[in-house]
Amino acid sequence: MTPDPMNWLVWNYLALGFSVLALALPGSRLRRSIYVAGAWAAALLVLIGASRALIAGTTTSIQPMLLAILPAFGFVLDPVRAFFLIVTAAVFGLAICFVAQDSGRYPPARARALLVLTTLIYAAMVTLLIAGTVVSFIFAWEIMSLALWALVTFDSRQTDKVRAGLLTLALSEGGALAALAGLLILAGAAGTSSLAGIAASAASLPHGVVWAGFLLTFFGFGVKTGLMPVNAWMHDGYAAAPRSVTPIFSGATLNLGVFALWTIDGPLASHALWPALVVLVTGTVTALLGIVYALVARRMTQLLTHSSIENLGIVVAALGAGFAFTAMHHPVLGGLALVAGLYHMLNHSAYKTLLFLGNGAIDSSTGTDDLDALGGLMKRVPLFATLFLIGIFAIAALPPFNGFVSEWLTLESLLRVVEISAVPVRITFALSGALLALTAGLALTCFAMLAGSTLLGLPRSRAATTPRRVPWSATLPMGILAVICFGLGVLATGVIPVLGGLTTRLTGVNPTAALVPAFFRHVQGLAAGTVHDLTEIGAQIGRGVLPLRGLVVLHSGGASTPVVYAMSTGLTFIVLAFLLLVVWLATRGLRRRRRVDRRATWNAGLERLRPEMTYTATAFAAPVRVTFAGLLRPVVAEHTEHHGAFVTALRRQDELVHVVDRLTLRPLTQAGRRIAAGLARMHHGRVTLYAAYIVTALAAVLLAAASILHGS
Amino acid sequence: MSAWPLYSLLRGIRTTRWPRQEETAPGVSPGRPQPSADASGAVVGRCPTAALMRIANGVAVDFARCVHCQRCLHGEDALPWSRDFAWTAHAPEGRSSLGRRFRRSLHVRYIDAGACGGCMGEVRLIDAPPYNLHRFGIFITATPRDADVLLVGGPVTEAMRMPLRKAYEAMPEPKRVVAMGVCAINGGVFGKSFASAGGVAEVVPVDFVIPGCPPPPLAIIHALLAVTGRAQTHASEQQP
Amino acid sequence: MSGRAELLDLLAANARPDVGVGGAHGALRAEVTPKAVPDLAAKLIEHGCQFATLVVEPARADGGFTLRYFFYAANDATLIEITAAIAPGSSALAIADRVHAADWHEREAEDLYGIRFEGHPFLGDFVLHDTVWPEDVAPMRRVFDPHRRVAESGLGTAWRPRRILDEAGAIAFPVGPIWGDYHEAGLWLLETPGEQIRQAQSRLFYKYRGVEKIAESQTPDHCVLLAERFSGNSAFAHASAYCRALERIAGCSVPARARALRAVFAELERMRYHAAAIAELAGSTALAVGKSMGQEIEERLLRLTGEVCRHRYLFGVCAPGGLAWQPDNAALRRLRTGVTDAARELVGLERLLAHSSSCLDRIEEMGTLTPELAQSYGVVGPVARASGQKLDLRLALPYGAYADTPVEVPLEVEGDGYARLRVWFAEIRSSAAMIESLLLDLPDGAITEACPPTEGVALAWVEAPAGAAFHWLRLDGDGRIARWRIGPPGFRNWHAFHRALKGAAFQDFPIILASFGLSVAENDR
Repeated sequence: MTPDPMNWLVWNYLALGFSVLALALPGSRLRRSIYVAGAWAAALLVLIGASRALIAGTTTSIQPMLLAILPAFGFVLDPVRAFFLIVTAAVFGLAICFVAQDSGRYPPARARALLVLTTLIYAAMVTLLIAGTVVSFIFAWEIMSLALWALVTFDSRQTDKVRAGLLTLALSEGGALAALAGLLILAGAAGTSSLAGIAASAASLPHGVVWAGFLLTFFGFGVKTGLMPVNAWMHDGYAAAPRSVTPIFSGATLNLGVFALWTIDGPLASHALWPALVVLVTGTVTALLGIVYALVARRMTQLLTHSSIENLGIVVAALGAGFAFTAMHHPVLGGLALVAGLYHMLNHSAYKTLLFLGNGAIDSSTGTDDLDALGGLMKRVPLFATLFLIGIFAIAALPPFNGFVSEWLTLESLLRVVEISAVPVRITFALSGALLALTAGLALTCFAMLAGSTLLGLPRSRAATTPRRVPWSATLPMGILAVICFGLGVLATGVIPVLGGLTTRLTGVNPTAALVPAFFRHVQGLAAGTVHDLTEIGAQIGRGVLPLRGLVVLHSGGASTPVVYAMSTGLTFIVLAFLLLVVWLATRGLRRRRRVDRRATWNAGLERLRPEMTYTATAFAAPVRVTFAGLLRPVVAEHTEHHGAFVTALRRQDELVHVVDRLTLRPLTQAGRRIAAGLARMHHGRVTLYAAYIVTALAAVLLAAASILHGS
Repeated sequence: MSAWPLYSLLRGIRTTRWPRQEETAPGVSPGRPQPSADASGAVVGRCPTAALMRIANGVAVDFARCVHCQRCLHGEDALPWSRDFAWTAHAPEGRSSLGRRFRRSLHVRYIDAGACGGCMGEVRLIDAPPYNLHRFGIFITATPRDADVLLVGGPVTEAMRMPLRKAYEAMPEPKRVVAMGVCAINGGVFGKSFASAGGVAEVVPVDFVIPGCPPPPLAIIHALLAVTGRAQTHASEQQP
Repeated sequence: MSGRAELLDLLAANARPDVGVGGAHGALRAEVTPKAVPDLAAKLIEHGCQFATLVVEPARADGGFTLRYFFYAANDATLIEITAAIAPGSSALAIADRVHAADWHEREAEDLYGIRFEGHPFLGDFVLHDTVWPEDVAPMRRVFDPHRRVAESGLGTAWRPRRILDEAGAIAFPVGPIWGDYHEAGLWLLETPGEQIRQAQSRLFYKYRGVEKIAESQTPDHCVLLAERFSGNSAFAHASAYCRALERIAGCSVPARARALRAVFAELERMRYHAAAIAELAGSTALAVGKSMGQEIEERLLRLTGEVCRHRYLFGVCAPGGLAWQPDNAALRRLRTGVTDAARELVGLERLLAHSSSCLDRIEEMGTLTPELAQSYGVVGPVARASGQKLDLRLALPYGAYADTPVEVPLEVEGDGYARLRVWFAEIRSSAAMIESLLLDLPDGAITEACPPTEGVALAWVEAPAGAAFHWLRLDGDGRIARWRIGPPGFRNWHAFHRALKGAAFQDFPIILASFGLSVAENDR
C-alpha cells in the first residue's frame, strides 16, 4: 500500500531529527558525513512526497495525532504547496553539502550550532509550506524568522553585524505582527481560521476588511520576500550571515513570501482590482531599485542580495498582473501572468542558489568577495568559473537558459493588457512593463560586470592571484544546478503545463493550452478539442526518440498561409546544437594543418599591465552611478593634500545610504526618538506623579467600562 | 543638417595622380644628391654623416646615410640634386615583398620610436587628401594584431625598445618591417648612443628602408607599395 | 611692476657680496648660497618675473655642480641669473613648491645629474624610467660615456604607477605608449573611478635621445644639425636660437637681410605648425572634412617651404652668422603670394569651424586651464595666451628682427580648447601680416657673416611655435661644445596639461590633447 503523500513529510522530520542527533557524534568528518546523509534523506523524502502530491493533483490534510490537543493546528498538502516544497527541498539538498563542509572553519560547538540552526530553518520552511490554519502558519513563520535571525547574527562580533541583526529582528517581528493582525482580521471576517476557508470566502468579504487584511499581510509577509519599503534588513543581513547559508536564504526562504502572497493575498487580489495593482506596482518598484543597488554594490554578496530583491520584484509584479487580469475577468491572461511569475520564482531559485554557492566558494578559496579585489578566476579555476558563468548567463536572461523564458513570459504577459480597455489599468501596466524592461537591461549590465570583474582580466589582489582549490561540495551542486538551469530553459514546453495546472486553483481556467499548443504536449495523438481546421499532415520528427513532439507541419486552412511549420523550443535547441557541431567538424577537417601561435596579450607596449590599470566593477558601473545620482544621493567627502603647489593626494569617499533607509527608516527612527523624548518628559522619577498616572488610568478604564455596560 | 559634406564635394578631388602620372609639383620632395663623375672631392668633407664617398671616378652617394643637411647642395663643388622621391631600398637580409593577397589590402601599424616632428608630420600626411593612402587599399590600424606591416620612425630610444619588440611579436605572420627615415636606418644624427639603439635593425629585423630626413609622404607611400610588390625598390648606394 | 632698480635691491638683499650686472644683454647676476635660492626665487615671482630655465653644469674643479636659475622680467626686458654652487654629495633645496614652473627642471636635474632636491615630493622615474635604467645612473655627469649602453630591458615588471587618487574602485587607466593611429610615444595615466578623470599624470621621456649629452665635445657646426632634428616641426626656431647663442659667444652680428629673413622663415614655420595643430584638433573631434581641409593647407605651406627653402621643414636653412644660402627674389615673391593664399584659406576654415556646433561642443569649456593655474605653472606660448597670460618672448625679450617689427599677440581668457583654437588662428593671421611687411621692406646685402667658434657662454631664446624656448651654451677652449642646455616649452605646458584633464570624461582626452598642440619630441630631446 502506497503511503499517503503526507506521510513522506512526517518521515522527513524524523530524518532531520536523526541528522541533528548525529551531530553529537565525535569526529568531525564522521559527524558531518552522517549529518549530510540524513539531510539528503530528508530532502529526498520531501521531494518524493511532494512530487506524488503534485502528480496526483489531490489535496490531503491532516491533524497530526501529536497535536490533537491543539485543534488550531492544521496541515494541508495540495499541488501548489507540493511545488513549493519541491523547490525548497531541492535547494536545501543541494546547498547543505557546502554548509556542512564550510562549518569546519568554526570551532566544533559553533559548527554544531550552525548545522542545528540550518536544520531548524529547513524544518520551519517545510512546516510553513504545509500549514493550513492561521495559527500553524504564524507559528511556522515565527520559528523561521527566529532561525533566520539566529543565522544572521551567528558570526557577530563586529558592530555592523550586530546592527544588521537588530534590524533583521525588528523588521521580522514587526512584519510578523502586522501579518498576524491582518490574518486575524481576515479570519474574523471570514469566520474560519483555516487558510482555505479564508480563500474561499475572499469574494464576499467587505471592502474595508479586504484592504486592511491585504495591506497588513502583503507588507508583513513582504519583509521576507524583500518588498521595497520593508527589505532594509536584507542588505546587511545577508552579508552578515555565514556565507554557506545564504544560498538557502536566497533560494528557499525568499520563496516563502511568495507562498504567503499566493495563499493569502492571491484570493483577495483576484477579486479586487486595486490591491492587485498595488502588488504589481510594488513589485516593479522593488525590481528597479533592487537592480540599481545591485549595480553599485561593492561586495558580491550585496550584489547578489539586491539581485534577488530584483528577481523577487519581478515575480511579485508578474503575480500582481495575474491577479489583476483575473479580477478583470480575463482568467486565461491571468493564468498566463501567474505562470510567468511561478516560472520566474522557480528559475530564480535555481540560478540564485548556483550563484550564491559560487559566492561562498569564491570567498572560501580567495578569502574575499570584494568585487574590486577579484579577477582572473577563469584561468585559475576553469571548471568552477564555467559553472559560475552559466549561472550568470541564466540570470542575465540569455537563451537557451531558463532566465530568458521567464523574463520573456513576464514581459509578454504585461503586453497583453491591450485586451483591457480600462485606461488607468493600461497606464499602470504600460509603465510597469517599461520599468521592468529597463530592469532587464540593467540586470544584463550588472551581470556582465560580475562576470568581468570576477572571472576575467587580471587578479586585483594577492588573494585572487592564487586561489585555493574550490571544494567539491560547492562545485558538484553547482554543476547539477547548471544542468537544471539549462533544462528548465530548453524544456520550457514541459514545465509550463505543470505550472499551468497550479494556477487553475486561483483563476479557474488552465492557461496551458494558450501557451503550449496541444500537439507539442501529447505524444500519442492530438488532444481532444483542437480547432477543426488543424490537420496534421507532416512528419512527426523525433517520434519515439524525443519525449515530446518536436516538429509539426500543419495544414491551417488559411488562404495566404496554407501550411504552417511549428517547432518546439527543445527541438530548436537540438537542431542548433547539431548544426554547430557539423560546422565545427567541417572546419576542423577542411582547414589545413596550421600551427597556432600563442603570444602574450597586446597591452600597448607597457612593461606589464598592472591590475590597478584594469577596469574594476566600480568603474564599469560608474555610468549607472552618474545616471541615478538623484536616486542614490551619494554623500561625497573630498580632501586634497598639497605640498606647496603640488597636489600630493586626493582622497574622495562617497557614501551611499539606501533610499529606503533615507525615506522610511531614518525618519521613523527620528520620529520615534522625538516621541520617546517627549514621553521622557513625563517621567521625572517622582513616585507621587506615577501614582497620579495610575489613578488617572484606572479612572479612565472604569469610566469606559461603565459606558460600555451602560450602552449594551 | 551639417554642410560639411557639401564643402567637401565642392572642393573636388585634390589628390596627386601619382603613380599613374609623374608628380612634379615643387616642394613635394626635398630631393636627394646625385653621384657626380667630375667632382673634385671637396664636397665629400662637408658631409657630416659620411654619406658621400670619394671613389676613383668621382663622388658616390650612400643615400641611406643622408640627413638632408643641404651642405652639398650649396657652395662650391655642389652636387646635382634630383627631385624624386621613390627611393625605398631593400634592407640587407630583408625578406621579399608580401604576396598577391596583400596587393589591394594592407594594414599598417606606425610606431613612434623616438621620431622628431619632421617624420611625425610627414607620416600624418600620407592619408591626407593630397596623397590619400586609402586609394591603394592601405590602411592604418591601431593594433599590431591586425597589422601586416610595422612602419617605424625614430632611432629607437631605450624606453621604446621593449614596446617595439612587443609590437613586433604581437603581429601575426606574414609581417614586414619598414624603417622610415635615416634615424630608423642607422640612428641618423643621434647615432648609436646610451639613449638610442641606433636604428630599428638593432631591435627587430627590418625588411625595407626609406632614407630621408624626413622622407616625404610620397616616399612613404612608395615604400608601402613596395612592400606589396606594386613598386620597385632601388639601391640606396649609387655610383656615378 | 618691477624696475631694474627694485630688482637690483632685491637681489642685493639676498645674495653674497657679488651682485653684478653683466652679459651682453644686461643680465642681472647674483650668486647665492643654495639655502637662499627658494626664498629669492619666490620673491622674484611675486615681483612679476617669469621663470625661464634651470641650467645645471658640472663644476670644473671638484665633483660639485653649478645651478643657474634664469628669470626674466617681461616689462623691461631684463634677464636675471641666480647661481648657486652645490658641493659634491650635498643636496639642493627645491623651489618647485613655490615656483611651480621649475618642477620638471628639478626632476630632470635629479634624474640626469643625481642631484637631490630637498622638499620635492616627486623625484625619480622621470627622464630615466625605472623600468629601463638601473639605479644611480646619471648620464649627464662628466664621467659617463655617451657611447656605452647601460640601460637594460626587463627591469620593468615591478614598476607601479604613482597614485594620487584614493577612492574606492578607482583605476589608473593607461593611454600609451603605443596608441592611436599616429600619436607620439608617451604614457598618460588617467586616474578615474570610471567616468570622470579625477587626476591625470603624464609620463613622458619615452623619446629621450640624450641630445644634450651627445652634443658634448662636438663641433658647433655639427650641433646645428642636432638643433634642427630633435624637434623637426619647430626646427628653424631651435636652430635659430642655437645660432644666436653661437653668435653671441663669437660676438658677431648678423646682417640685416639675414635677420629679416630669419624672422620671415620663423613666422612661416609658425603658420605651418599651427595649421597642422588645427587639422589635428578638427580630426580629434571627428570632423573629417575639417581635418582634411587643415591638412591640405598644411601641405600647401610645406610645399611652399620646400620650393623656396629646398626643404619642407627648413632643415639646412639657418647657419651660424646668418642663413646658409642666399634666396633669390623670385622665390621670395612666390613666398609672399603663397603665404597670402594660405592665410586666406585659413580664414575661410576658421569661419567654417566657428559655425560647426558639433565641433565647438567638444572643445568649448573643455580642457580648461584657468588663468590662475596658467600663472602658477608658468605656461608659455599659445596655451598661455589662451588663458589670459600675455606672454611672448618676441615682445618680452625682443630678439633678431622683432626688435624693429611690431608683433601682434592675441589674448583670450577662457582657457578652454576653443580659446586655444582662436589663438592659433589669430597668430596665423599675425604671422602672415608680419611676413608680408618684412618681405616688402627686405634689405639687400650679405646673407651671412663669419662666426668662428670661440670660448664663451651665452643664453639665447626664441618664441617657438609652441612657446618660449631657451638655449644656453658654453664652448670650451677648443671651440667645442662643453655644455648645451635646451629648455623647451613643453617643460611648462606638458606639466600643466594634467590639470586641464581634471573633470573631463575619458572620451575627451584625445581632444584636449590635440587642443594643446604640443610636441613630445621637443620636450624629450
